Amino acid sequence: MASLFSSNPTLASNPSYLFSQAPHNLAAGNKEHGFYPYTDNGGSTLGITGNDFAIIAGDTRSTSGYSINTRYSPKVFRIGGDDETGEGAHIILSVVGYAADGTALKERLNAIVKMYKYQHGKKMTVKACAQRLATILYGKRFFPYYVTAILGGLDEDGKGALYSYDPVGSYEREQCRAAGAAASLIMPFLDNQVNFKNQYLPGTGVGHDLQARQTEPLPLHEVEQLVRDAFTSATERHIEVGDGLQMFVVTKGGIEEKYFPLKRD
Amino acid sequence: MTSIGTGYDLQNSVFSPDGRNFQVEYAVKAVENGGTCVGIRCKDGVVLAVEKIITSKLLKPGANKKIATVDRNVGIVSSGLIPDGRHFVSRARDEAASWRSTYKAPIPLAALAGRLGGYVQAYTLYSSVRPFGVTAIVGGWDSAGALGVDGQVGSGPSAGAGGKIPGAKAGGPALYMIEPSGSYWGYYGAATGKGRQTAKSELEKLGLASGNLSLEAGVKEAARIIYVAHEDSKDKEFELEMSWISSMDGPTKGRHQEVPKDMLEEAEKLAKTALEGEDEEETTAPEGETMEE
Amino acid sequence: MNHLPQAWGRPRDDVYGPYDASYLQSRLPQTHTQSPIVTGTSVLAVKFKDGVVIAADNLASYGSLARFTDVKRLRPFNSKSIVGIGGDVSDMQYLDRLLNSLDVTENYSSTGHSLNAKNLHTYLSKVMYKRRSDINPLWNQMLVAGLDGNDEPFLSSVDLLGTTFSSPTLATGFGAHLAQPLLRKVADDESKVADITRERAVEAVKECMKVLFYRDARSLDRYSIAVVTKEGGLELKEDEQLEGQSWAFAETIRGYGRTQEA
Repeated sequence: MASLFSSNPTLASNPSYLFSQAPHNLAAGNKEHGFYPYTDNGGSTLGITGNDFAIIAGDTRSTSGYSINTRYSPKVFRIGGDDETGEGAHIILSVVGYAADGTALKERLNAIVKMYKYQHGKKMTVKACAQRLATILYGKRFFPYYVTAILGGLDEDGKGALYSYDPVGSYEREQCRAAGAAASLIMPFLDNQVNFKNQYLPGTGVGHDLQARQTEPLPLHEVEQLVRDAFTSATERHIEVGDGLQMFVVTKGGIEEKYFPLKRD
Repeated sequence: MTSIGTGYDLQNSVFSPDGRNFQVEYAVKAVENGGTCVGIRCKDGVVLAVEKIITSKLLKPGANKKIATVDRNVGIVSSGLIPDGRHFVSRARDEAASWRSTYKAPIPLAALAGRLGGYVQAYTLYSSVRPFGVTAIVGGWDSAGALGVDGQVGSGPSAGAGGKIPGAKAGGPALYMIEPSGSYWGYYGAATGKGRQTAKSELEKLGLASGNLSLEAGVKEAARIIYVAHEDSKDKEFELEMSWISSMDGPTKGRHQEVPKDMLEEAEKLAKTALEGEDEEETTAPEGETMEE
Repeated sequence: MNHLPQAWGRPRDDVYGPYDASYLQSRLPQTHTQSPIVTGTSVLAVKFKDGVVIAADNLASYGSLARFTDVKRLRPFNSKSIVGIGGDVSDMQYLDRLLNSLDVTENYSSTGHSLNAKNLHTYLSKVMYKRRSDINPLWNQMLVAGLDGNDEPFLSSVDLLGTTFSSPTLATGFGAHLAQPLLRKVADDESKVADITRERAVEAVKECMKVLFYRDARSLDRYSIAVVTKEGGLELKEDEQLEGQSWAFAETIRGYGRTQEA
């Protein structure tokens, strides 16, 4: 670098050195960055709400390419509870995509929800938590958490609440949402079975006269079966989904965790 | 202290006309009232011991340690102002860590003592600071064999150029004492605090220069000396805290550690019986304060 | 002349106009590791009834060159846990020094409790995730083996992206493809771990080391193996020789210049 400035400029208007003329023996073109800071750990998650409950479920497989890292790596977490047991939590979060970002996001949200409780002496509402999660994601807009998050709990009226996100914090409250590798397999199934899309009442007419079946909140046991069916089917058709199904059910009685084995092939 | 009241003692870094820095001498006074500390450099290790005066019955026994670990192989104990001692230890830890990050090896005791001496000395140079109110005893073991650098993964050539010289010895036990002036010396046996005079005369009787005292015997002697030195302030209860460092193939495997509980209790028991025996002989008259160096 | 030393030796402003300081580049762009240079290959580990066994060979490769053949890739931590490291060797040495300094600071106080393997894994995963987030990764994948806070066997992985996962058997690098399927025959589920003896686990790991030596061109038949149990603590052997090698199958290979029966 020193030699660059040692040449004697004779006139200000006629510099003897130009950066454009710099002798460069480097290979032409920009060298591509060798490190890509993201990966995809596969798997899928799914959330459905009912009148007085919310369910979030996820498979427990973690992958790297065609390899299975482990058959048990949870994607759904209790938020705002005790560190070891999760006791006292009232919100659940699922993260799917890049698992390391998912863990980091979960830990951040968990810390924030706990701090909220310590500072204000009351639990954070799911609505407030949902907005806060969007803020966290958006705050890393230019180096995003590469995850699709689903947040669940009960709202101020005790009704099931479910919020779904994109990696940069765009979010909305929904009845149901599938995310992750098999989202495109599960979501249409949910549209049909939860929101009764493309279901018509028989004998109500032809063409446009056909009346759509009205949606109604589903009971818990039916939703649970829907979730299990969704994952067994996704396991059949998607290589990154399988091994185990973990399910969190939020009701006014608290959070219940369930586990069902899935095919491990 | 004839010069008191002449004004030369009111500011640090200022000499009196007869060439003394009074603030440093006052710092020494703070040390002279601290709990007695003893360090013994034995042939196969170093022992540190401190008389911890119990200032309140509400203090948990065995808690509030006064001997600190600086690096794996170094320990420090100090008499005087406790917070000053803590800061001193913190500086020692920084120095040891910085040495490691530069040289990828533990700091030699001589180098650590030098850096700490320099640090303490700097606090005698400025009017904006006061000198350290502690005298610290630094004990450790410099590895005797060739040590791999930190992070080394291979074993290197087994013979020939770059190979290790079998049987080559270096290092060994090291003991230094650093005073508020920043001056530091290497010792066979060091003592500071309230009972230092008694402790020093006891240390002198051990014949440490001949290098015959074993580490195990040193532990017992250190305990006894603390008990003997405590005789002058018998009315106060105290707790004995001790640590030791041996070579790699000794009992602590080159690490600075607390002396194990059973060994400490054994040493205390021996110290108490030794004291009782001494009382019967009725020989030791309390020594008067003699001139300090 | 200007009295300020900063101006000495520079073209005079009154003659040449003010100096364009933007040409003074005070520092070059910061550069980070783009790819590993000297590398270690697979690390294998299996949990068993009362502990964990972990192994890695002693080779550090420079591309396809077997550069260093006495490299210890199992790094013990506070005599209770062990970390097996694959990937860049210089980053491994950095991590080793980091763990060294962690051990020193942990020993400042002698409170009696020390970091267990689970704590160590959490620490390492935060280090790795921080470095990947700074786009300055430590190019390694590690297995942390030891005991958790309840003295139960612990085994977990972390890589250069900060991805973490845990399983009864784990293998990094080439081993993830070759050894992991074989190890899963021994224990494919956490519930099976209680039935596996130490002997079975050690045998499985050694067998996999052999398979890897046959098929991984960046591997060596000298390796390190460690067992961590509650009773025995950490038992580490750093210069083991692969036993029972059989190259008889090589006789059956055709091609690469060998076309007919010998």
